[in-house]
Amino acid sequence: MTAASRAPARRPRPAHLRSLRRWLGAALLAALTVLVVLPILWMVTTSFQAGEKMFQLTTEWIPTVWHPENYPNALSRAAFPTYFFNSGVVSVAVMAGNVVFCTLAGYGLAKFRFPGDRFMLLLILSTLMLPLEVTLVPTFLVVYNLGWVNTYQGIFGPLLVDAFGVFLMRQAILSVPSDYIEAARIDGASELRILWQVVAPQCRPALAVLAVLSFRDSWDQFLWPLTVVSQDEYRTFPLGLVKFGEYYGNPATEQMAIAVLATIPVFLLFAVLQRWVNRGFGLSGLK
Amino acid sequence: MSTAHSARLPDAAAPDRGERAAGARLRRGGLRFGRRLQLVGAAFVLPALLFFLAFKFGPMLWAMELSLSAYDMVSAPRFVGLENYAKLAEDPVFRASLINTFVYIAGSTALITLAGLALALAINTAVPGARHCMTAMFLTNLMPIIAVTLVWRFLLHPFGLVNQLLQPFGVGRVDWLTDENLAMPAIIAVTAWRFAPYFMVVFLAGLLAIPKDYYEAAEIDGAGVVRRFVHVTLPLLMPTLFFVVVVSALLASRIFLMPYIMTGGGPGDATRVLSMLIYETGFSYLKMGEAAAISVVLFAIMLVFTVLQMQIFMRSERAHLR
Repeated sequence: MTAASRAPARRPRPAHLRSLRRWLGAALLAALTVLVVLPILWMVTTSFQAGEKMFQLTTEWIPTVWHPENYPNALSRAAFPTYFFNSGVVSVAVMAGNVVFCTLAGYGLAKFRFPGDRFMLLLILSTLMLPLEVTLVPTFLVVYNLGWVNTYQGIFGPLLVDAFGVFLMRQAILSVPSDYIEAARIDGASELRILWQVVAPQCRPALAVLAVLSFRDSWDQFLWPLTVVSQDEYRTFPLGLVKFGEYYGNPATEQMAIAVLATIPVFLLFAVLQRWVNRGFGLSGLK
Repeated sequence: MSTAHSARLPDAAAPDRGERAAGARLRRGGLRFGRRLQLVGAAFVLPALLFFLAFKFGPMLWAMELSLSAYDMVSAPRFVGLENYAKLAEDPVFRASLINTFVYIAGSTALITLAGLALALAINTAVPGARHCMTAMFLTNLMPIIAVTLVWRFLLHPFGLVNQLLQPFGVGRVDWLTDENLAMPAIIAVTAWRFAPYFMVVFLAGLLAIPKDYYEAAEIDGAGVVRRFVHVTLPLLMPTLFFVVVVSALLASRIFLMPYIMTGGGPGDATRVLSMLIYETGFSYLKMGEAAAISVVLFAIMLVFTVLQMQIFMRSERAHLR
């Protein structure tokens, strides 16, 4: 308050003007938000539209007649239940793999000193320049030689650990006080138990971020499944959706129905973990 | 995983040096305690490390070897020296794809960064409802890319929503995805729509970490909104900004799905990027050696950004130890 009592360079604005500005700002931000999420709203509303209403020169934001049958129709045209199941299996495996292995590696790198630890960290970070898009051909050959073409492990295997996840967990575990770990160690707790019962509970925000992002990234995968899957029974939903759009000349409304269904699991996971995700992103100071 | 939360390093204490000394005094199971801890630490990292050897470093070395051979998965690889690279140098499609990749990386990185920063500044005004607006916008980042791509393919259709919304402003029919001058900008815009809200969150974390006193001091000194932004926000946000640029560039260099679905690389080769070329060369034409050579080029591009990324990391790490 001493600062405020020094001659202020500006006259404070009258209160009612300030509050007007605030509400004006809120209205502008709300308008911007609506504009940004408009394509999502379009997707939802179109999925309930009649097929022939597409590509009229106006968009009907609230369907005059609702067509919820777009959903079962779309699902029955191709093996979408199978595709979604496959995507689910792969994404849950990738999420689990990242949560487990990134946490283990992050703990090892954050709380232990051993010869070559820095080098290992840099080595892991350097794999950021080796995404599947770059190593597509040899990774395919590796998976092919393992006999994993057209299998679940073929799809999720190369996605099981991600360098960003390791880095994220290392950074999070760094801020867990070493005293807690030592105390548990002196009490005779095993190293894994320390990780599970002392370290992990303090890293829930980072773990939530890791879970949401690794699930989303795996759910999003397109190029890799496209490369490693040729049988319909192992197709993930993005492949199915593309095939669906290409081969059947299917109505946009049904494509959007599938797109909505594909979006729901990621939104749900985010909703469930949101409380921690925000903290994981360092947004706890936001009102 | 595409992205990162590491712009802001946690205010961690460096691992306790005393830990080692204390541990060394204990003995357990024959091994000195400190030695045992070293092994435990390394064992924790081992699974991830083995994974990276098998699925990252191994394949990359293999790609380098393959890039020097002709291989179609039927007959055994045959060493051809630099022939694949020589072919690429003369291939107009490769040259176009290389340029497109650079244009795409530059364009989407710039747009993602600017839009992400602008959105974060808007949210950071903390007007009523800002938090809900942030959550709503973040949803675009969670929407599956395939859904994003299909939705925008319809929105950018000549009779689609975008043209409908532009009509009142006197804009006529625009062929966003079939005009060779507009297809790439359109894909860049869609990319920014999907990814900017993620970096909005990263920027926001950076903004929230700036102590409020700095703004108060600047305000007392008579600095207006612009000067406060230039002299307080921007310098303190520099590490975050640098981080966002590098990470979004890394992200952009991997683009595949959006042009593959929205334009198929066309019109002509206007939106063909290197990852598409790798896939087509390797798996449509079974020219594994040539595809590996393109991979090595893409790798070289990513190497630049990764080195930058590491430097940011090392700098923040050193700042820590000080």
